[in-house]
Order: sequence, then C-alpha cells, then structure tokens
Amino acid sequence: MTPSTIEPTGRDHEVARLAAFAIALHLAEAVVPSPLPGVKPGIANIITLYVLHRYDFATAAWVALLRVFAAALLLGNFLSPTFVLSLAGALASLMVLALARHLPGSHSGPVSHSVLAAFAHIGGQLLVVRLWLIPHAGLAYLVPLFAAAALFFGTLNGLVAAKLLTSNAKEEA
Amino acid sequence: MSSWKNSLLPGDWLTLLAGGVLVAWLFATLWHAGPAGKVRIRAGDAVFAIHSLDQERVIEVPGPLGVSRIVIHDHRVRFAASPCRNQYCVHQGWLARAGQVAVCLPNRVSIELSGEKGYDSLNY
Amino acid sequence: MPRRVMASLVSGLRWLFHWHLAGLLLFALAGCGRAPLHQSQAYVFGTLVDVSIYGEPEHRARALENRILQEFQRLHDSLHAWKAGSELDRVNTAFAAGKSVDLSPELAAILTDATALSERSGGLFNPAIGHLIALWGFQRDEFVPVRPDPAMVQRWVSANPRMADIVITGRRAFSRNPAVRIDLGGYAKGYALDRAAHMLRREKVHGALINIGGNIIAVGRHGDRSWRVGIQHPRRPGPLATLELPDGWAIGTSGDYQRFFELDGQRYCHLIDPRSGRPATGVQAVTVLIPPGPQAGTLSDVASKPPFIAGVAGWRAAAAAMGVRHAMLVDAAGRIHLTPALRPLLHFVSQDVQLEE
Repeated sequence: MTPSTIEPTGRDHEVARLAAFAIALHLAEAVVPSPLPGVKPGIANIITLYVLHRYDFATAAWVALLRVFAAALLLGNFLSPTFVLSLAGALASLMVLALARHLPGSHSGPVSHSVLAAFAHIGGQLLVVRLWLIPHAGLAYLVPLFAAAALFFGTLNGLVAAKLLTSNAKEEA
Repeated sequence: MSSWKNSLLPGDWLTLLAGGVLVAWLFATLWHAGPAGKVRIRAGDAVFAIHSLDQERVIEVPGPLGVSRIVIHDHRVRFAASPCRNQYCVHQGWLARAGQVAVCLPNRVSIELSGEKGYDSLNY
Repeated sequence: MPRRVMASLVSGLRWLFHWHLAGLLLFALAGCGRAPLHQSQAYVFGTLVDVSIYGEPEHRARALENRILQEFQRLHDSLHAWKAGSELDRVNTAFAAGKSVDLSPELAAILTDATALSERSGGLFNPAIGHLIALWGFQRDEFVPVRPDPAMVQRWVSANPRMADIVITGRRAFSRNPAVRIDLGGYAKGYALDRAAHMLRREKVHGALINIGGNIIAVGRHGDRSWRVGIQHPRRPGPLATLELPDGWAIGTSGDYQRFFELDGQRYCHLIDPRSGRPATGVQAVTVLIPPGPQAGTLSDVASKPPFIAGVAGWRAAAAAMGVRHAMLVDAAGRIHLTPALRPLLHFVSQDVQLEE
C-alpha cells in the first residue's frame, strides 16, 4: 500500500487533486436536492476512504477537513448550522476511522471503514441537532431512518472505494 | 463493474451484519415507543387533518355547531375555543403524550396524539 | 492521480447513482407498509364509537363496521329516552298515563333483564328514575347547569319509581306506578356491545375491539397478543392505568367527569342516587372488569353504577352484589381502591398513584 517511490511533491500534488475532487463531489451533492431532507449519500467520503488506504490517517483527516471548510466557504454557509453539522459529521467519522484502521486489515477493508464512518457521521450530526437545533424528543423518530440510510450508503461508498483501490493497485502492479 | 463481492472481506460481512442488527434494533425501539409527534384531528367520521407538533399552528375545524379552534404550540396541542356549551374539550387543556385524546362530542371534533401509547382503546 | 482511477470513479459514481435512487424508493415503499388493523370512529348513540378490527381484509372490515354502526343507530333510535317517537318514549308516555302498551320482544327482554339487575343492585341501579334525571337537566344533548326545586326532587323520590312496578305479560306492559319513566342510559351502550360482539363472533372475526363512549368489549385478539386498553385518569388527560382485555372480556367506567356541570364550585355529575334524588358525590370514578359471558357488555355498563352511588363506604359490597370481582374506585381525593382480583391485572401509568387497601 505504501508507494515508496513517489516524490514528496508528486504525492502532495496527488493529494491536492484528490482533495479538490472531494470538494467537487461535496458541492455537487449540496446542489442536488435530496428527496428526504437530511439523507445524503455522502459520496465525497469515498475520497476520504481512498486517501486513508492509499496514504495514512493524517492525510485522510486533512483531506476531509479541508473539504468541509472549503465547501462551506464556496457555498457561503461557513459557520452556519449546515457547516457545523458537516463539521460534526466529519469529526465524528474521523474519530471512528482513527480507531477502525486498527481493525485487522486482512479481515476488514474499506467497506467496514465506510459503514462505521457513516454511522459515526450521522451519529455526530444527530447529537448536534438534538443538543442545539431541535432540542426535543421528536427527532428520535427519524433516527432509524438515518441509520438505515447510513448503512446503505456507507456500504455503497465503501464498495466504490474498494473498487478504486483494487483497480489502482492492479495498475501499479 | 463486476465482482463487487470480492471487495468484501469476512470482517466486512460482520460489520454489515452488525450494522443491520443496529438498524433493526433502532426501528424496533424508537418506532415502537415513539413520543407524540403528530396530532390526528377528526371531524365527524372522517380524519380532518394530521399535523406535526413541530410547528406553531392554529387549525379551524368545522362541525355541526360551528368552528372548533385547535392550537399547536410548543409541541403540544389543545382545543383553544369551541362552539359547544359545556367546554369539556377546552378544559381538557394541553395534550403532549402519545395516545392522549380530547373530544368535543357536541361539535363532533376529536384530537388524538399519535404514537405508541401502550393500549388499543381508552376506557372512560 | 492515474487517469484510470478517475475513469473507474466516474463509472462507479454512475452505478452509485442508480443504487441511491433504488435505495430511496425502498425507503418510500417501507413507509407504506401497514398493519392489518382497521380502525374507525363515528358519532352514534350520542357519543363516540370506536371500532378496531384486526386481521380482516379492508373491504370486509369496512362492511362489518357499517353493520355495527347501523345496529347501534337502530338501538339508539329505539331506546332513546327523551326523543319523541322512539319506542321507549311511547312506552314512557303510556306508563305515565297508567295505560298498557305493546312492547317489541327485544324491549320486553331488555326491561325484564334491567329489572333483574336493578333488584340485584338493591335499587342503586334504577332505570326507572327518568324523571329525576330529566329534573337535573341530563336528558339533553347539550345540558345546562340547573338547580332543581328541592320539593320537586323530593316528590319524585317519594313516588319511589322502581323497575318492579312494571308488569309485563306477553307483549303487553303497564306500570303500577305512574312515576316510572325509563332511562336506559346506564344499560343501552352495554347491551349494544353484546349485540356487536355476538355479530362479530357469528362472522368468525379474528379480532375486534369495540368502544362505545368508553365502554369496551374485546373479541378475539390483536394478532398474536391480547387487546390492551387504557383506563382514563378521572382528572387528567391520558390513562391512569392499562390492562389486557382478553377475548370476551368487557370493561366499563362510571365517572363524574363524563357528563357533569359545575355550579358555585360544586360538581354535579350525571349519576343520580335514587335514594336522595341528587347526583352522587364522594367518588371520581368506578371501573369494572367483566369476564366473558353472554352479558359481559351489559354488565360492564350496568355494574359500575351501584358501587359509584354506594360511595367509598359501601362500594365493595355493591360490586359483590352485582357479581363483580374485578373493580376499582377512585375516591374524591384521588386515592385508588382496588379489589384483590383486579390488582395484579393493572399496570399503572401515572407516577403518583395512591393505593388504599
């Protein structure tokens, strides 16, 4: 997994391109209306997973947070509730990824990481919503729906990330 | 885009299984003992409207005697005004928990908070 | 970043897009799945009727409900105590005039049965005091607070109208006491429950729960569990307790909160004590639970009245006289009194329940 021959500048170059691509995916998802408010596929997380597996956790965290801040600035919702939710989701999923990468690599791959991160993502967001935005119990009714969406989209995103990683590995082999 | 299954390691299947169990458990618990989220307003034999409690709203429901005014405020609901003589419905006050009911028999208007209430019908 | 990665990412995204749509569709469909419970409400009998039918196809449930509601409407029209033209009104007019009158077989059976129940209650359940009920203003859909002339109250109490004054021979009936005026307010709803339950059993319905103005009878089960009912808290919105209502059981409550008016801070409820001619006091509610039997519904309506009128001191004896083992009384202070048989069946919902043994 560790590309030993890449020059630091080359590596930076590729990480920057991946980050830019993640921002683009984030923006694309932000402008496409969701039929269920609050339920989004989170396809930009594919990039986070890809970077986590290709490089390391620090780089993945950097790409994820850069995306959240840059997308907020570009969409003009920096420091708004949307941004705070996005940041809370990213931080929660990064925390879980930091733990999940210690899972035995031979038994669990990007799909596990993606699903766990998706659950953490929606968990962090719901926590903020409950504590700050909608402080009453009615929200509980939506939790199972969000969790089901997290499982579904987390699996799909993980599969895409896994596919990307294998096709890339083949190419380099 | 073939052989997606090859991307899944044994641990991934376990994660998916655990995720599925978690989601099923969330549905079972939260959709069963859900707090009141909606009020069902009936006029006569028919459902007049179903409204979320997550709003500030005044609903006017016509009945045989006139208009009953129902107010949703602060995640609660009540009869605010009624054309009936005895005003039992208004005296019922605020309803907030799943299954609570207030009825105006003369004007044939009832409000009921939906959600799992722990029983099928109310003896009164 | 290798171009191939980009290409496969784009292709993967296209694939994702389709699956996301499929996923959202699944969510939408999941929201449409419905339990086989059919529930409807209607205003018949001057009150709210609530019918729940479980495990029947929609069209059949609807047809059964319509039959039940039509039957209730028929009974309401025939047993109405104060609407001119009802069969009961015709009978009351004849009784007041000392004349004999033709009875339908159904009304003859009802009056005979109500007389037996009145005897069992020692006269505390007395459908013959229609004049007193009217005097207190409760024989109207929209009653007004009234304070009847004490002399008038005394007059109807002294006249001592009793069900036993009615003489039925074949299809003819007359009253030995012209003060008798029948009001089946504490009987008709329970009788209607028995009629509906009988009809549903004949139709082999799996499960149904019928609620007429608070009186409930259970037929079968709610799928793989028993029906559950809540008992209204006499002073708060929502239930005081819940319990299971197995197949054939019925439950009824008499409360001072159902039909009442307040005058100068004093509460006057619709349950009139035949001995004093005045609304009963000292009790907020009496609930009775009746085991299966051909008259479970009727008893659930009738049997709560005598303990309510007897009051805290005599309620247990009054319940026992009616053959009731499962009963609860909430006294004027909100304290709960229970029979030993009922106690293990109740799940209290209210936090601050005060039990009196």
